[in-house]
Amino acid sequence: MGFLAPLWLLAGAAAAVPLLIHLMRRRAGARIEFPAVRYLVRAEREHSRDLRLRNLLLMILRVAAVLLITLAAAHPIIRMAGAGHAPTALAIVLDNSLSTSAVVGGRPVLQRLQARARDIIRRSSASDRLWLVTADGVVHGGTRSSVLDAAAHTEPFGGAGDLRAATSRAALLARAAALPAKEIAVLTDGQASSWSEPLALGDIPLHAFMPVAPAPANHAVVAVRAIPARWTPRGAVRARLLASDSATYRITLEGRTLARGIAARDEEIVLRAEPPERGWTAGTVELEPDELRADDVRHFAVWIGAAPAVAIHPLAGAFAHSALDALVQSGRASVGNEIALVPADEATKLPALLIAPADPIKLGAANRALERLGVPWRLGAAQHGESMVHAVDSTRALEGVTTSVRYTLSRATGAERTDTIATAGGAPWIVAGPRYVLVASPLAPPATTFPLHASFVPWLDDMLSQRLSGEGGIPREVAPGQRIPRPAGVDALELPEGGVMTLSGDSLTAPARAGTYFYQRGTARVGALVVNAEPSESELARLTPQALAVKLGTPAANVLTDSTALTASVLTAAPQRPLVAPLLLIAAITLLVETLITTPARRKVS
Amino acid sequence: MDTARATRADLLDPATIAALGRIEVTARWIVDGFLSGLHRSPRKGFSVEFAEHRPYQAGDEPRHVDWKLAARADRWAVKQYEEETNLRATVVLDVSRSMAWTGAPTRLTKLAYAERLTAAIALLFLRQRDAVGLVRFDDIVRSSVPPRVRTGQWVRLVSALEEPGAGRASHAADALEAAGRLIARRGMVVLISDLLMDRDDVVATVRGLRNAGHQVVVMHVLDPAELDLPQSNEALFVDPESGLEVATTVADVRAAYQATVREALAEWRRSLTGYGASYEPVITDAPFGVPLRRAFSARQEAP
Repeated sequence: MGFLAPLWLLAGAAAAVPLLIHLMRRRAGARIEFPAVRYLVRAEREHSRDLRLRNLLLMILRVAAVLLITLAAAHPIIRMAGAGHAPTALAIVLDNSLSTSAVVGGRPVLQRLQARARDIIRRSSASDRLWLVTADGVVHGGTRSSVLDAAAHTEPFGGAGDLRAATSRAALLARAAALPAKEIAVLTDGQASSWSEPLALGDIPLHAFMPVAPAPANHAVVAVRAIPARWTPRGAVRARLLASDSATYRITLEGRTLARGIAARDEEIVLRAEPPERGWTAGTVELEPDELRADDVRHFAVWIGAAPAVAIHPLAGAFAHSALDALVQSGRASVGNEIALVPADEATKLPALLIAPADPIKLGAANRALERLGVPWRLGAAQHGESMVHAVDSTRALEGVTTSVRYTLSRATGAERTDTIATAGGAPWIVAGPRYVLVASPLAPPATTFPLHASFVPWLDDMLSQRLSGEGGIPREVAPGQRIPRPAGVDALELPEGGVMTLSGDSLTAPARAGTYFYQRGTARVGALVVNAEPSESELARLTPQALAVKLGTPAANVLTDSTALTASVLTAAPQRPLVAPLLLIAAITLLVETLITTPARRKVS
Repeated sequence: MDTARATRADLLDPATIAALGRIEVTARWIVDGFLSGLHRSPRKGFSVEFAEHRPYQAGDEPRHVDWKLAARADRWAVKQYEEETNLRATVVLDVSRSMAWTGAPTRLTKLAYAERLTAAIALLFLRQRDAVGLVRFDDIVRSSVPPRVRTGQWVRLVSALEEPGAGRASHAADALEAAGRLIARRGMVVLISDLLMDRDDVVATVRGLRNAGHQVVVMHVLDPAELDLPQSNEALFVDPESGLEVATTVADVRAAYQATVREALAEWRRSLTGYGASYEPVITDAPFGVPLRRAFSARQEAP
């Protein structure tokens, strides 16, 4: 027997009231003049035994009535044998992660799981509460038919989702329901990567189903990257495959095949290209279809533009001139007026790579030029003495570079976000922002060893092509359903199939379908959001039922591989009947008997 | 019919009729109402015998016309009757302190009820030309009026009823003996009391009266609260006469008390009727007509 409102049991202490009344009786009361006292005395004398029994019976009846009423208030329920099941809060976790779209035995695993879900839902009754929680975090609740409909129309998710979070959510939903029985049913393909860590669900009954068939062999494109992120216009595509054997691949750009080939097992694919496309461009690396089609294609995005046209100022320094010449000769840059390479005091427009003036006397003019151009940084007092330079982004190798003369960089308050590319002596040395890069030392050996360093020319190339040419931004790769901040100035997302989704708020949820989505400002593309499934989702290795039981983290977990056994196991809690009505009936009878005993008999004198 | 019953004073609520006037007034209403009701009963022509003829006058009832005389002498005359005066009755009224009690302010005290009943019985008997006397007692005989049938007897009886009775206890034996002494020849003694006294003494005295040839009628006056116990929870019950105190829970002892009262009344009935006396419980919320009819019936059975 259980209680739905056990706190009411505390009211059982009220049973002490009739006891106290019986103990304290005859200790208080009115003084009544009554001539027939002799009959009263005689009654008590002649009926003393009956009176004691009557008092005892009344006390028992009153105590019993109080106890029965408080017991009824606690809403007791008792398990009853028989057909049917107790009203149950059942949360079904349906694994619709990417891996369940693998075709096994002629149909996707998800279809089998959906069939099991429908079997379970059909066993439910109107007194049950049902929820369907999918791996992508969507919860469907409501009537049996609506949950049945939701199970039938569940689509495979584009990524791994979070099956553990979905199961925990299901446990919360079931626990929160005010029904006597609570159960969870987890329908999963048992993919090992989905159940990396054990859950802690407590002792809620859990029935899990996983197909017994072994996972199919799978090959997949697990990584693709455009190198560099912005091509001017040359670049490369680097891809990594998951395959047990060699695999045929195809690389496309805007639907156009860039290359085809066969990659050996564990071979990294690198394709260099100088495509004619310009601006933000979508590409794919594709494999021949296998049982899991969704991970046979992986998307990437790249910005492609012409080599940056740079106008170098005569006072920029000999080393800057030499480095730019090298870039022009290699085709990485051209001479033009697109980007200025100029001392800060001579700058008149952006984009520009700004160099601190060699003569401190020009510091004032430099700061005025910075202010005029809207650059939030200001050059301060010159710092003499050797300082080591450290790149903030460790991928940029500036190790060994030192400065002898550098100006203190200070940022105006309220300025928009800026990047510090390198520090010297712990203070910002190279900073960047929208359409500018500012170096706090003259690019000359008396001030810094940087122009003499091997990384100088690649760095200059990187700054000109990746930071200062074309529109800003680099593509971002996310998993389906991942929550990410909305980039500043972006107001819409261009969908792969056409159409635009307006963005609002500080963050957005990555689309469920894999593909390349372009950020838009107005009608112009200003960035790319590449949605690809997690690489781990392509690893279809499954847990054993025993291992899955451990991962589910509840001693009451019952992992089954047989659909019939699953259907027979779920919704089997013995029906519990409320005892409120019978208890109240007994209490009423008790009080009726008490009333009959205490009610004076009708006068009958003849 | 119901309207007629409702207007008869002997059938009205005792407290209501008592509130309308003094004892002598209300007693007349009661007896008049009782007798008017009695005329409708099949028992007619009680305790009367023929006296003389009187010339018929318009308005006389035809049933009183002497048809034989009319046939024989061709003279219309009606018969006139003379009431009997062959019974000497004494009402013995308990005026002890226990009688001056009522269980509810809307009801008459047992004494007030008994006094009105005594006056009504006396008037009823006097109208039948019976000699009626009165003995009032508590722990002693407080007053006595010898039985007489003469004019003014009823006024004396009513005056006697209005005398105080202040004794704490009841002692009916002496009063009954006094009543027996007041009746020289066989007669009738009516004891009106709450009988909160020693039963053996009363029964012994009644036995003596019965042996002397008197008819004895005992009217046991009871307040309804004495049958059921007053409505209360915890209470200290005090006997106004003896000062005896009993603390009890009414709800607990009510059933036992009721059984005891029923048993006590049965004992009184058994003891008294065993010696040929009549015993009638009289509840103070019953109309006066009820005990009056009992007394009248007893009178009819008297020698």
